[in-house]
Amino acid sequence: MSTLTISDKERFLINQEGQDFSHEAKTFIKIRELALKNLKDLDFPTKKLENWKYTNLRGISKIEFRPQSAINIIAEKVKAHKIPNLDAYTLVFVNGFFSPEFSDTAEEKDGKFVVTNLNTAKKKFIKFVEPYLGFQTRAKDQFFVNLNSAFSQDGAFVYVKAQQKLDKPVHIINLVDGDLVAAYPRNLIVAEKLSEAQVVVSYETIDTASALSNVINEVFVAEGAHVQMDKIQNENKNTTHISADYAVQHKDSTFTINTIPANGKLIRNNLSILLDGTGCTANLNGAICLNGDIHVDNQTYVNHAQPNCDSNELYKAVVNDQAASIFNGKIYVNKIAQQTNAFQSNANILMSNDAKANSKPQLEIYADDVKCSHGCTIGQFDDEALFYLRARGIKESTAKKVLLEAFIGEVLDKIKIEAVRDYASALITKNFNSKN
Amino acid sequence: MLKINGLKAEINGKEILKGLNLEVKPGEVHAIMGPNGSGKSTLASVLAGREEYEVTDGDVDFDGQDLLDLSPEQRAGEGLFLAFQYPVEIPGVSNINFIKTAVNEVREYNGLPNLETKEFMKLLKEKQQLVELSGKLANRSVNEGFSGGEKKRNEIFQMAMLNPKLGILDETDSGLDIDALRIVANGVNELKTKDNAFVVVTHYQRLLDYIVPDFVHVLYDGRIVKTGTKELALDLEEKGYDWIIDEFKETV
Repeated sequence: MSTLTISDKERFLINQEGQDFSHEAKTFIKIRELALKNLKDLDFPTKKLENWKYTNLRGISKIEFRPQSAINIIAEKVKAHKIPNLDAYTLVFVNGFFSPEFSDTAEEKDGKFVVTNLNTAKKKFIKFVEPYLGFQTRAKDQFFVNLNSAFSQDGAFVYVKAQQKLDKPVHIINLVDGDLVAAYPRNLIVAEKLSEAQVVVSYETIDTASALSNVINEVFVAEGAHVQMDKIQNENKNTTHISADYAVQHKDSTFTINTIPANGKLIRNNLSILLDGTGCTANLNGAICLNGDIHVDNQTYVNHAQPNCDSNELYKAVVNDQAASIFNGKIYVNKIAQQTNAFQSNANILMSNDAKANSKPQLEIYADDVKCSHGCTIGQFDDEALFYLRARGIKESTAKKVLLEAFIGEVLDKIKIEAVRDYASALITKNFNSKN
Repeated sequence: MLKINGLKAEINGKEILKGLNLEVKPGEVHAIMGPNGSGKSTLASVLAGREEYEVTDGDVDFDGQDLLDLSPEQRAGEGLFLAFQYPVEIPGVSNINFIKTAVNEVREYNGLPNLETKEFMKLLKEKQQLVELSGKLANRSVNEGFSGGEKKRNEIFQMAMLNPKLGILDETDSGLDIDALRIVANGVNELKTKDNAFVVVTHYQRLLDYIVPDFVHVLYDGRIVKTGTKELALDLEEKGYDWIIDEFKETV
């Protein structure tokens, strides 16, 4: 008799199975099948891979995470994760499953826009979904992207018709409740020609002793459209969060994504922006303030495929205790992408001896008439400024807070919705203090 | 008000102040002059509580308190103000919020309630006018993009807002043109009462045409080697420091 050995990955994948997707249209089942096929040749990324050099996922493959729908969701516990004073279409997902009782949708067939869950859209609005879903996530080499594509239960669907505007923002709340949860929420946002949308995505925890959030946001920005997305990651310290955010932009469109990784055990963000028309603007901002032993890894990839596009990246981090902040920003400028303006800035303040920051800008430029710049700084607190404030009678603790708020404030100001900015600001201010 | 006795201070193991004595009484203006590297700015920094300097000997009494025991913010709370030689730029912090925070923290230290917005705005306007500081600068980040003259006027403006017992001006005149110098000096003269005092650290006699000192001290090699009246400043302007240094070396 031969011994049958099974790898950690295979065991992990078996744990994800058992979900029934057979009711889905063939076109969507195909996406899952392709992802499963890709997963056969892939494995959990290790530190040997250049892009995973600073982020160690060792051990995660051995944890028995499984998809599980939450039972007995308590209304009060969901409400606690709403953003105060935010008037929005709210969609709530728990462990990646839609919670219609806590959500308000807009599903009129001839309405100006559709706001609903992806599973409803796959049936009711298949024509709006089919051309877009999975279009940007075909990456054969991305383990977690394929994992989500294969096993995602549900997510938000936001579709704005040409020349229309969402009358208020959409707030997608993703919650985790229960132990050993694997959640795969997946959002699809489509802004047709000359339309406008504001989307807020927050990831939070009801309760868990161990969870994996493996999420995707897929965004399409058509000609002349404007999309702003604010992403707040505020899960508990037992949660590993892996996120892939894709946007493709057409001519004269604008896409802004503001990332606020505030709490969790480990957070990894992979942003991938394709500027696929002339005259596009992409803004990628990150306000990062960490304490305790959280590990946050922000990876950005901006592909200037067409001429005359602008991209602006501003990532600022304040790192306390034993926390670590990693930034790896790559700008790729295609041979034909003349008159590209690409700016990237990453500034870090280390607040303790054990805090870590790694910054790696990468430029790959094949056009000859471009303006590209990148700058990164890793430093301590500005003692001169601190002394100046104290010499005016301001307590050391207040002075530090004032200076940190000013440092991060430059990024927070990019958040256009006041209620969201206040919410993010409060999370960040809380993290100024040491957890030790 | 201020009594410095045998003060010795060093930075990175190098002794700069070597036993300095000085007494300042209410209503007085003292000028401290001296060649480069004599310890003028060190004295200002040590009094304000800059932590890079280590006091190795001596004591400083400020209105009955051991000044050296207090943190920089406590010194400000007690009524000590240092106008910086190089005012610091603080991006992202507006000038108006900065000074409002400072005013209210100093009030809190002294057991007073925060100023009502209306009162604060009134005070702000009045003090801006005193140093001819444009209202537009209030909403800009602290000192960011200010001209040299604007930065120094901003220091005097802050001093006027905080109304200290003892104002120390660390080479506030350096780099100023005549107009700015006149505005800064006028600000100080307007603030002068019989209950407060000023220590003016300067390189040049020029400022003392506008702020008339009661005493002029010459600092050399970490000690005050000569004290006189305002006429001493004129002598220094004319003859330089060498004669005093020679005089001092002979007595040692």
